[in-house]
Amino acid sequence: MAQAVNNSSGITLKPFTPEDDANLREAIKRCSAATYEAAAQFRKTGNIEHLPAIVLGIIERYVEPDLRAKLKDADDDLRIIEDLGIDSLTMMEIVILVEDVLQMTINNEELRHLRTVGDVKTFIECKVSGLPLPKPTKFIPIEQILSVMPIQPPFLFLSEASVNAHGANAKYKISGQEFFLQGHFKDNPVLPASIMLEALGQLAVLFLLEGQVGEAGKVVDHRTIFFTSCEGVRCHRVCKPGDVLSLSIKPKRLKSPLATFEGQIRVGQEKAAIAEEITLTFAFAEEAARPVAAEAPVQAGDAAAPKPAVSARAS
Amino acid sequence: MRKVYITGLGFITSIGNDLLTVAESLRDLRHGMVQYPPFQKADVPVKVAAPIRDFQTDSTDQEDWLFPARYSIRRETLRGMAPHGIYSYCAMQQAVEDAKLTEAEWSNPQTGLYAASAGSPFLLGHHLEKMRKQGVMRCPPLGIVASISGTVNFNLVSQFKIKGASTGFSSACASSAHALGFAYDEIALGRQKRMFVIGAEDGNVESILPFAGMRALSLQADPGLASRPFDEARDGFVGTGGAAVLVLESEEEVARRQPKVYCEVAGWGQASDGHNVAISHPEGSGLRVAMENALKYSDLAAEQVDYVNAHATSTPIGDLSEARALKAVFRNSPTRPAISSTKALTGHGLSLAGAMEAGFCALAMKEGFMPGSAHITRLDPACDGLNIIRATLPHRPQVVLSNSSGFGGANVALVFKSAS
Repeated sequence: MAQAVNNSSGITLKPFTPEDDANLREAIKRCSAATYEAAAQFRKTGNIEHLPAIVLGIIERYVEPDLRAKLKDADDDLRIIEDLGIDSLTMMEIVILVEDVLQMTINNEELRHLRTVGDVKTFIECKVSGLPLPKPTKFIPIEQILSVMPIQPPFLFLSEASVNAHGANAKYKISGQEFFLQGHFKDNPVLPASIMLEALGQLAVLFLLEGQVGEAGKVVDHRTIFFTSCEGVRCHRVCKPGDVLSLSIKPKRLKSPLATFEGQIRVGQEKAAIAEEITLTFAFAEEAARPVAAEAPVQAGDAAAPKPAVSARAS
Repeated sequence: MRKVYITGLGFITSIGNDLLTVAESLRDLRHGMVQYPPFQKADVPVKVAAPIRDFQTDSTDQEDWLFPARYSIRRETLRGMAPHGIYSYCAMQQAVEDAKLTEAEWSNPQTGLYAASAGSPFLLGHHLEKMRKQGVMRCPPLGIVASISGTVNFNLVSQFKIKGASTGFSSACASSAHALGFAYDEIALGRQKRMFVIGAEDGNVESILPFAGMRALSLQADPGLASRPFDEARDGFVGTGGAAVLVLESEEEVARRQPKVYCEVAGWGQASDGHNVAISHPEGSGLRVAMENALKYSDLAAEQVDYVNAHATSTPIGDLSEARALKAVFRNSPTRPAISSTKALTGHGLSLAGAMEAGFCALAMKEGFMPGSAHITRLDPACDGLNIIRATLPHRPQVVLSNSSGFGGANVALVFKSAS
């Protein structure tokens, strides 16, 4: 048996025998020729530049033909389940084939959080090069949102949410049953712009409570989070019952006791609202006993109270 | 008790993959046997089988399979299927079309599905070999649901979005007759208004050849002679596979929808031999009681039976014990029922047999004929006193009995009554 060699990427290469080549061809016979080429090159050289082509080629093979076009010009945010119609069992088939082609082992726990094409690519790259895996995106179902949030129905404007180190995303469907829609406006229910801002604020609260701030071991005390200010809020679209709001926030500055985020709301592909800055105050659990230093704190759940300078109508 | 009717059929069988072809084959006694290519090896003494035409399912990779263009099946549907899964899916398509059902009519809590198959030894064997060679984590994620017994109900219930009662039956060659019997009960008792009944088998090397070890298979190399139930020279059964689907509906649904009706399911009975794990009782005692029960529960007398579709698989012992049971039940009948075994044409479909033959009975009652018992050169003298018909009779039977017997001595008799 030929000796294993180390290449520049630090990957230990096993020799690629004609038998391995035959097995590889058989394993990915339903993938594109380019996928085979990339896989064979990777197996011979260990060059991780081939990984995206391999991984995309394998995913493509399992996507129904009518959805494959999406993958052609996909960005890394393309969602595997929602956008490509791949279910968890197909994901398992993809993993088994990836394992086979790249000669690696992936365990179930590692897979649970891979939701986008980008997640998968990053994961495989880290795995192959032996780098630590990035903290995965955490998906938070409504039951869990209800259990961690200080804000509760009928004033909670998040349903499902996902949180990672770079920010948080959530959805909220305007049901039409929201109490304030009775009067906002008469015979013409329109989601108040203040509520849009409130929803973004709530998502920022969830981000803080999910431990995406401070060192490991430090936990934000939910009783210490309050709204302080916002800037550059603009509404672009009237949102009505039936609309599904896609909320996203990204942290700009996180330093106790202040956390500043930028946020935006889309409905489908249309921009509904943006906030250049939303700032909350917070404290960690062990500090919570001490008085909170914040100017005119308002419970984050009442973001609407100091009415921000926004128009309820689309501008 | 509500009345129950058969209102739809679907067939993927060795004698045809649609209603018209199956009816013609039964009427004209056209058999489905061939010298099966995978058996033509020096170390395989069995030469004949009755395979399914127009499908190619001999690969362990479902994406290699070929099937008629009228069926469109997505990869994600196919990947959980055994060969008999795709046969079932296609027969199910035929049955819902034949019964003119809309999706709302078959996908609701009052519509259930009972199925029977022995699973897929072919895929199970492949997956276990892969597990042993490549490790447990390389087994295909859907390997289990594609191969274990129950695969037919798992697949069809999810694919057709069945919301009512569903389960599988496992009494070997009586399985799908049991499925039909219990499906009848669901409707008769008012628990469901509609039931699908499915019998299916792979009918390939792995599902047929293990019976060679029991010496249960015919070693006859002539496809026209290998399956000859009730013939003196019969030497074993010929294996087959495929799928049969029946749609059973309550009298209220029939009154509401006004579908075409094949026949009424008048009732059914079962009884066990309590005798031997694999050999039928020499006097056919369980089968006799099953037939008597079936007639009793159907409020019919033995004299009223016009036609019996026998279980007779062409094995020396099995056919004899059924002949004895039939003689015991119809002994005093002034008009002896016409008896035949359609396994002379199809081969023995194991778990498929009961539903397939119930479907044949329904078809024969609607079309107005009684299929003959083919391939008998010299009738076994043990059958003297039974009216075993060699040729198809062009009359519509009013009352029909269909027998099935499985391992362990499980026996089921189904009774059908002309709807007109």
